Amino acid sequence: MSTVSSELSEQGERAFFGACVQGGGEPIDPEAYRIVDRWIERNPGGRERLIPLLHAVQEHLGYLPFPVQEYVAERLGLSPIEVYGVVSFYHFFTTTPRGRYQLKVCMGTACFVNNAQTICDVVGDLLGIGVGEVTEDRLFSLEQVRCIGACGLAPAMMVNDEVHGHLTPNAIRKLVRRLKAAARKEREARKGEADGENEQ
Amino acid sequence: MKTNSEAAGDSRAVLDRAALAGIREAVRPVIEGRLAARRGAEPVRREVLVCHGGSCVSCHAVPVADVMERVIGERGLADRARVVRVGCMGLCDAGPLVLVVPDGVYYPRVNESLARRIVEEHLGAGTVLDEAELTWEGPGGEVLRSREVPFFARQLKIALRNCGVIDPGSLEEYVAADGYRALEKVLFEMEPGAVLDELKRSGLRGRGGAGFPAGLKWQFVRDARGDVRYVVCNADEGDPGAFMDRSILEGDPFSVIEAMTIAGRVIGSNQGYVYVRAEYPLAIERLGAALDRARQAGLLGCDILGSGFDFDVEIRIGAGAFVCGEETALMHSIEGKRGMPRPRPPFPAQKGLWNRPTLLNNVETWANVPPILLRGAEWYAAIGTARSKGTKVFALAGAVRNTGLVEVPMGISLREVVEELGGGIRSGLPFKAAQSGGPSGGCVPASAADVPVDYESLQELGAIMGSGGLIVMDEGTCMVELARFFMEFIVDESCGKCPPCRIGNRVMLNVLERITRGEGREEDLDLLERLGDHIRTSSLCGLGQTGPNPVLSTLRHFRQEYEVHVRERRCPAGQCRALLTYTIVEELCNGCHACTKACPAGAIAGELKHVHRIDQDVCIHCGACLNACPTGAIEAR
Ligand SMILES: Cc1cc2nc3c(=O)[nH]c(=O)nc-3n(C[C@H](O)[C@H](O)[C@H](O)COP(=O)(O)O)c2cc1C
Ligand code: FES
Repeated sequence: MSTVSSELSEQGERAFFGACVQGGGEPIDPEAYRIVDRWIERNPGGRERLIPLLHAVQEHLGYLPFPVQEYVAERLGLSPIEVYGVVSFYHFFTTTPRGRYQLKVCMGTACFVNNAQTICDVVGDLLGIGVGEVTEDRLFSLEQVRCIGACGLAPAMMVNDEVHGHLTPNAIRKLVRRLKAAARKEREARKGEADGENEQ
Repeated sequence: MKTNSEAAGDSRAVLDRAALAGIREAVRPVIEGRLAARRGAEPVRREVLVCHGGSCVSCHAVPVADVMERVIGERGLADRARVVRVGCMGLCDAGPLVLVVPDGVYYPRVNESLARRIVEEHLGAGTVLDEAELTWEGPGGEVLRSREVPFFARQLKIALRNCGVIDPGSLEEYVAADGYRALEKVLFEMEPGAVLDELKRSGLRGRGGAGFPAGLKWQFVRDARGDVRYVVCNADEGDPGAFMDRSILEGDPFSVIEAMTIAGRVIGSNQGYVYVRAEYPLAIERLGAALDRARQAGLLGCDILGSGFDFDVEIRIGAGAFVCGEETALMHSIEGKRGMPRPRPPFPAQKGLWNRPTLLNNVETWANVPPILLRGAEWYAAIGTARSKGTKVFALAGAVRNTGLVEVPMGISLREVVEELGGGIRSGLPFKAAQSGGPSGGCVPASAADVPVDYESLQELGAIMGSGGLIVMDEGTCMVELARFFMEFIVDESCGKCPPCRIGNRVMLNVLERITRGEGREEDLDLLERLGDHIRTSSLCGLGQTGPNPVLSTLRHFRQEYEVHVRERRCPAGQCRALLTYTIVEELCNGCHACTKACPAGAIAGELKHVHRIDQDVCIHCGACLNACPTGAIEAR
């Protein structure tokens, strides 16, 4: 990657990132930049800080938008291409927003021999999305992950940080129904709150 | 996790050697009581060990322990019983798992109501809940209970010695279980050369996969030129299906910290790193807490135990890349770069982190170090086979009845592990093969399952010891599909730096996909073998060099299964969807239309509430109906 970056002029890099940004077009939470600043202040050091910093940003935002990557690069004295190279290399980092419920179907060997593919297909069919996609309402996103270490519970899936094991297609139907209901309630509660505020 | 340090008085002061000895004296009987627990023992005070390993936590072990604590309080039993939250007990399948000490009674699958009863009846009234106790049918039909169960009785725990016994958050319990005695010995009684000698004579080999002699590696780093050296623990555990490193970090983090400190002293390093994968948040949390505690007690930092030796350890979190388990890639990742491997030599022992000499070992390797130094090389070398000493932890998973962690002496046969410890195959189908070493390994067919498990004999069979993931398969697993699965993994994880791995493995995957779709050609099998050989010999790092192994080993042991796919367009195990025929079992079909809606080809017809039918001429064998059917009425053969 570093050889590529040295060949690209700064202008070229800007153009490359410009194209990427147009693809996303999301407004970015200004807090993201403050997180970067604060983290860098608290953790002196060099380039080895890049990955921990990206973890910190993604933990807050849920993803790593390109403008924030550029900002990280600037603050660490790296070229944006180097940062993007790292982000795109590691599966854990993502440049697209995830859902309120992140479903991660385990595709480790133990789950695989216990029919994880079927589990993943059923989830995708129920939500109408493929692996790596997010539902339009941003409620669900679906990913495959490599072994969550819950091999005793295979086939297993994570919903955000919670592990659900011994899955069957019917168990998944129930789970998805429950999550949808919970999300609906959450939305109504939030709406209620907003209405309440408006009245005051 | 709450700590149980009451027995030692909860001092947060810096500890010296006298303090360590005091803790040992005060807490040791508690730990010994746990280890010796058996039926009929006279309880003075009972302890309930509630497993808080990752798997049990996923099965809601935390609320179970909370309920127990609450009921103990409600019933005024606090002076007679207490709850201890321990690491993985091994039988993850039966989680949440609970052990009552000193009676040695295990209770599997404890929910909140059973938790309440255990406190009231067992802890309160002293009556064992026989019907809820862990039992197993013995070979002669007799009923085996709790610790008699072969899963526990056949194990020999060295690396896992403290897992499931002590509270991983309690430094005092670790110290009482002989913790930090090895470090004291190294700091005050042994010369570094003697430590190296001890390690070499013990025959300990790396548990991360390659099996390189640990003592020799330590020697190389000590002898390397340079003023700054690093110690690294590889906790990337990339093999999907392995979870022993995770369990050690979650259940006994201090043992890894102590071992790294010892190494620091011996090779002359003051800084260690543990590289943990991001998928293990609980391990990261507990290791982090243990590091803080060790620092606070003066067991990390400056002038450890007044010896003048300084050492500290930091955690580095991975970001989801299998190749980062490879040592050179791992070090690039710690440096903040893409985790690309580089050619060796130079080995990390000469040029590692930031080009300084670096000692890198696997979690399980580290966990073996303190007991070896404490009990001596002879003791360790007496366990195992001629060239593979000690024990190995296996993560048993797949089609086996008891999934979980087992630690067994090297040289045990695979059949014993699968059939005796693992309790045989869950489905009742015949045992077909076991995959060891994950995507870099290979399979051992049932016919070869009697060979003793050690580094050499597994290699001869075309498998490897690997990190210890052992996936057991029954006749319902298709070996071609399994090979395709691993190849897909390798292609996904290839870093793309060298063409044999990036392109070669991709081509192999294409061929395998073709075969599982029923479009295989006669010459494909030879092509796979030839390609595999080239990739093995010409790839840059271990990922590519071992990537074709699962394909080559299944081809070697199950060639006939490949041939049936190619010649008869049939999958004997019934797993390759494109090769199956889908029919509807009339008795089970309730005519709900779920399958008609799911079928992308419009091949299913039938009226609502009436039995549906699949038109075989139109069916495209996608299996969508199978997933959609809520009553399991679709049969695929
Ligand atoms: C592709 C690849 C992945 C690896 N993954 C791991 C891993 O997850 N954990 C590990 O300890 N070693 C892994 N290794 C082996 C390491 O490179 C290294 O040999 C090992 O950590 C050395 O420690 P040991 O001598 O204690 O076994 C991997 C090697 C390769 C080639
Ligand atoms: S996690 Fe509880 S037994 Fe393994």
